[in-house]
Amino acid sequence: MYISGIGIVFTRGRGIDSFEKALKEGWREPSRTGLIPAYRVGPETLTDASLSKKIRRADRFSRMAVLSAVDAYGNSGITVNEREKLGIILATAFGPHTTTFSFLDDILDYGDANVSPTKFSNSVHNAAASYVSAILESRGPTVTLTQFKLAFQNALILAGSWIAEGRCDHVLCGCADELGMVMECACKMKLNIAKDGKINPFAFSDSPVSVPGEGSVFVMLSKEKGSNNYGKVGEISFSQNITRKPDLFVIDTDGMSAYETGYKDIINYDTVIAGYSPVFGSMLTGSAFNFAAAALMLKNQIAYKCIFQDNPFGAKLCVETSAKNLNEIYCIKICRPEIKTIVRLQK
Amino acid sequence: MEESKEKNLVEIRKLLKELLVENLSLEDIRPEDIKDDEILFGEGLGLDSLDAVEIVVLLQRNFGLEVKDMKQGREIFYSVDTLARYIYENKKTT
Repeated sequence: MYISGIGIVFTRGRGIDSFEKALKEGWREPSRTGLIPAYRVGPETLTDASLSKKIRRADRFSRMAVLSAVDAYGNSGITVNEREKLGIILATAFGPHTTTFSFLDDILDYGDANVSPTKFSNSVHNAAASYVSAILESRGPTVTLTQFKLAFQNALILAGSWIAEGRCDHVLCGCADELGMVMECACKMKLNIAKDGKINPFAFSDSPVSVPGEGSVFVMLSKEKGSNNYGKVGEISFSQNITRKPDLFVIDTDGMSAYETGYKDIINYDTVIAGYSPVFGSMLTGSAFNFAAAALMLKNQIAYKCIFQDNPFGAKLCVETSAKNLNEIYCIKICRPEIKTIVRLQK
Repeated sequence: MEESKEKNLVEIRKLLKELLVENLSLEDIRPEDIKDDEILFGEGLGLDSLDAVEIVVLLQRNFGLEVKDMKQGREIFYSVDTLARYIYENKKTT
């Protein structure tokens, strides 16, 4: 399947151009308005005059998903006339937890008869995907896939199967996660937050630091190559060894998993390694952002510089943004020794 | 007496407009943009049936008032002014 469009909402704005600009610019100080330093999405990013009526009731989570999905669709330049053939998959680790907790608080404060019906509808995990479906008038399958660590990878597999079996010609496949107050508290308690606001993607430490982020990425996956093709999704594999060398590895190290030492093996392949979590922040669904960066690199034939402080194991890193002949990129996420996912992207 | 009633109604209308904008997520509308006699549903402010349910919740939460009779609700929910008068009259008797 081909990547025919990308839409993104993240701490530095909205749209693939904003993301490309951020990749070129490099590191920026996270916001320090909450309990922890974090890469938050500003309210100005989540407004859109052309969609204001359609997303009036949508919460932050749904807005992030809608804006990135609509942008991915628009970025593809494809008009899907057969709406039954447009599928939607939203992957998320925590869903609209801010609204869910707020809804539960309201039940305690006002009783179950006096809670907002809109808040209830937004607290449902599939609400964001439904907004996307309604706005794009999709008649194809629409699902929300919830998993902590490999939600995006599983969404890609599902999208691939829908396209392979002819159920869909195009699938908007993406992820969204937000950073609410409850999540900030959980991050503060559970994670090793980088006080200086700097993630170390190549330290491969057993106690990695993180700077939580939030946002959404959607990719338009198509059966046929589109006019704005970014590349092709080859194989998506779990627990397989790397049998051949790609031109670049993009790794998901951001401090969300304690098993970052497992990435050290990749150094042995003597291939350039990149990872862009310092641009968008630490997220369980961060794989989608790195996937977007990889797709952008394949399309532009440019390797973007890595942001790092430490490189204690001497990994071969991409140290400056430059033109590079890229035919194949592997996006790697390792959760445990036995769970290694590889998403192969090809030019 | 009339002066006091009007003063109360002005305050209720102001509060109602703020609550409507906040609870109904009326993004591009400021409370002061809503006219007292502007029709809330359909053409005027453009609210819909889901907003009506939100207003029912809003009245219960903020003023302790229940609107169960839909025929009565149609009259009450006509404008900010009719809502304010309903709140004023019913709050006073309780």
